[in-house]
Amino acid sequence: MILPYIKELAAGIEASLRSDPNQDSARKRFTLEIARLGIRLFSGEERVAWCGVFAPFDLLTAVGVTSCFAEFVGGWLATIGAVQPMLEKAEQAGYSTDSCSYHRGVIGAALEGMMPEPDFLIATSTPCSGGMATTENLSRHFSKDLFTIHIPRDDGPEGVKYLADQYRAMVDFVTAQIGQPMDAARLRQAMEKTNRARALLDEAYALAQAVPTPARRRDMSNLGIVLPLLFGSEAGIEVARAYRDEFARKVKAKIAGVPGERIRLMWLQNRIQFSNPLEQWLEEEHKAVLVFDELNQICWDPIDLEDPYIGLARRALSIPLGGPIERRIRNLQQHARAYRVDGAINPCHWGCRQGTGGRGLVERGLKEVGVPVLNLEVDCVDPRHFSEGQLRTRLEAFIEMIEGRGAGGARLEVAS
Amino acid sequence: MGIGFRGPGSEASGFDMYYLGVDIGSLTCDAVLIDEDGWVMAWSVVPTGASSVRAIDRVRAEVLGAAGIRSEDLGAVISTGYGRDRVDGRLAAVTEITCHARGIQRLLPGTEMLVDIGGQDSKAVRLDGEGRVVEFAMNDKCAAGTGRFLEAMARALEVEVDQLGGLDDGARGNLTLSSMCTVFAESEVVSLIAEGTDVSEIARGLHRAIASRTQALVKRVDPAVSGLRVAMSGGVARNPGVVRALGAALDCDITVPPEPDIVGALGAALIARERAG
Repeated sequence: MILPYIKELAAGIEASLRSDPNQDSARKRFTLEIARLGIRLFSGEERVAWCGVFAPFDLLTAVGVTSCFAEFVGGWLATIGAVQPMLEKAEQAGYSTDSCSYHRGVIGAALEGMMPEPDFLIATSTPCSGGMATTENLSRHFSKDLFTIHIPRDDGPEGVKYLADQYRAMVDFVTAQIGQPMDAARLRQAMEKTNRARALLDEAYALAQAVPTPARRRDMSNLGIVLPLLFGSEAGIEVARAYRDEFARKVKAKIAGVPGERIRLMWLQNRIQFSNPLEQWLEEEHKAVLVFDELNQICWDPIDLEDPYIGLARRALSIPLGGPIERRIRNLQQHARAYRVDGAINPCHWGCRQGTGGRGLVERGLKEVGVPVLNLEVDCVDPRHFSEGQLRTRLEAFIEMIEGRGAGGARLEVAS
Repeated sequence: MGIGFRGPGSEASGFDMYYLGVDIGSLTCDAVLIDEDGWVMAWSVVPTGASSVRAIDRVRAEVLGAAGIRSEDLGAVISTGYGRDRVDGRLAAVTEITCHARGIQRLLPGTEMLVDIGGQDSKAVRLDGEGRVVEFAMNDKCAAGTGRFLEAMARALEVEVDQLGGLDDGARGNLTLSSMCTVFAESEVVSLIAEGTDVSEIARGLHRAIASRTQALVKRVDPAVSGLRVAMSGGVARNPGVVRALGAALDCDITVPPEPDIVGALGAALIARERAG
């Protein structure tokens, strides 16, 4: 059921891109490449690894393994409106409705036989222990070997070495699983491609800071967390270049992603994955734009081609969501200033202890730099809990409050 | 219909413009009509019932009829509440947070923290002392501790919801009831009645349950609430037991304006006057 759907999706986007080569297409190209990745995952023709969110996907690409983080399946099923039966399946198997629905979604999909059987699994200790438990569950379900990467909180030299050594051990594990050694030249090529994609994406993010921003509501959704699946490949470079070029053209021509941009908002963690009218309503009714998503950032230096394991370890340790809360707060403060945001929205995804544990501290930290925070109570994957009216009232009151502070008027004339 | 805020200059002259605020809540639909000087001409509260459109029509007809003016004399209409998008002819829909803030500033100037408990939600709104919202929080996930909660508990106690407020007179105990779930709390009440627990103690326990839930919301907005000028609006503010319990939980005095149900509609009417100007 899933494979034909993804093939149809990819074919539709390809046809659309062919029919109008001059359209704004970065998001379409991104979706197309992810669909192509999905085809490879579900085709049964390639070596597949289900992983944790912060696994080194480019390292797996270098060794010829197609990989994806398991939570992607939960989010994607929500996006296409197919997650509810999977959630119910997981709940019937005993998973609490208080647990993370990304994880319940993927567990349900596995129990329903809708997840392709992997060759092996790679768990990561960040961003959350729920993700580790889910990967371990999948390992047992498929009776496949699991390698667990412990990403420490210490980002100093000892932490970097500790993690780099685990990556080397992971490569030993993977090459033993697939019976094929790591090719040093392929590893180098993959890291070069990662670095090229990184540089282009960094430029795209810098361009998105423009006033008005060239980004539209869906452009940036899930970009920073999903694009790493394409790192180490030409596809990653192409998608990052498409974003950079589209944003550069718009900024040069002073074309706003949302004409009449009035309010600039920051979104913490992940967006609501299932179809809902809130983002469109924010844009159309209030000219409020989600200019920055917390996970859309390059916080790591280019990978040193002579010592890639160290570079990959530094990259993983640099991700603010996985480290100490003080670092996450400083990072959010910096981005709030850089993107000139008027307010921040924290969806506080139900069941996410990692995301909501620091909620009060994050709120206080952003207030210190003059950014009000709206904490919602929303399940980003499970549509059964969605109450549009309740959420709209909270969002609308937040917008009214921001407007009452004097934001939302000064930029009217600069928008196209 | 009562005369809460009628003042000088409120007689309809036939040439003035008037401004209407309509607050469509889950339990009641409220309207306030003001004149160009901001004086209240008339107000009305009706049950929302199954049809919010019917309730809107009724409440509008009641205030216009009471003031003796025609629809054509309305300078602007602002709607608020969960059904705010269903009001025909509105200049704009504004959230109840903003409207309650504006309304309480008119009734109790200088209010710094407003607690509003309506039919299905509760809010804590931090104000700057001039009616502008600085911060707010609303109840999460479910409607326990709101007007619907009290309705269910009154039903279990076999009293009218208006009687609940005075039922805790003389209660001394510290009975604790679930503040997390209306259904569980209702069955707790039924069990307590069956065990012979004094109704006053049960009522006190219910008021404390609401206060417990609400004080967390208020302190989330501003932990230093005990030093602020705190007011309460919404239908639940008519329940002196809840107001007392919340005041004790927050360690502060809570002022309730006259006719606390219509604070949102009054704010909407005042915003209508500003925007029309």
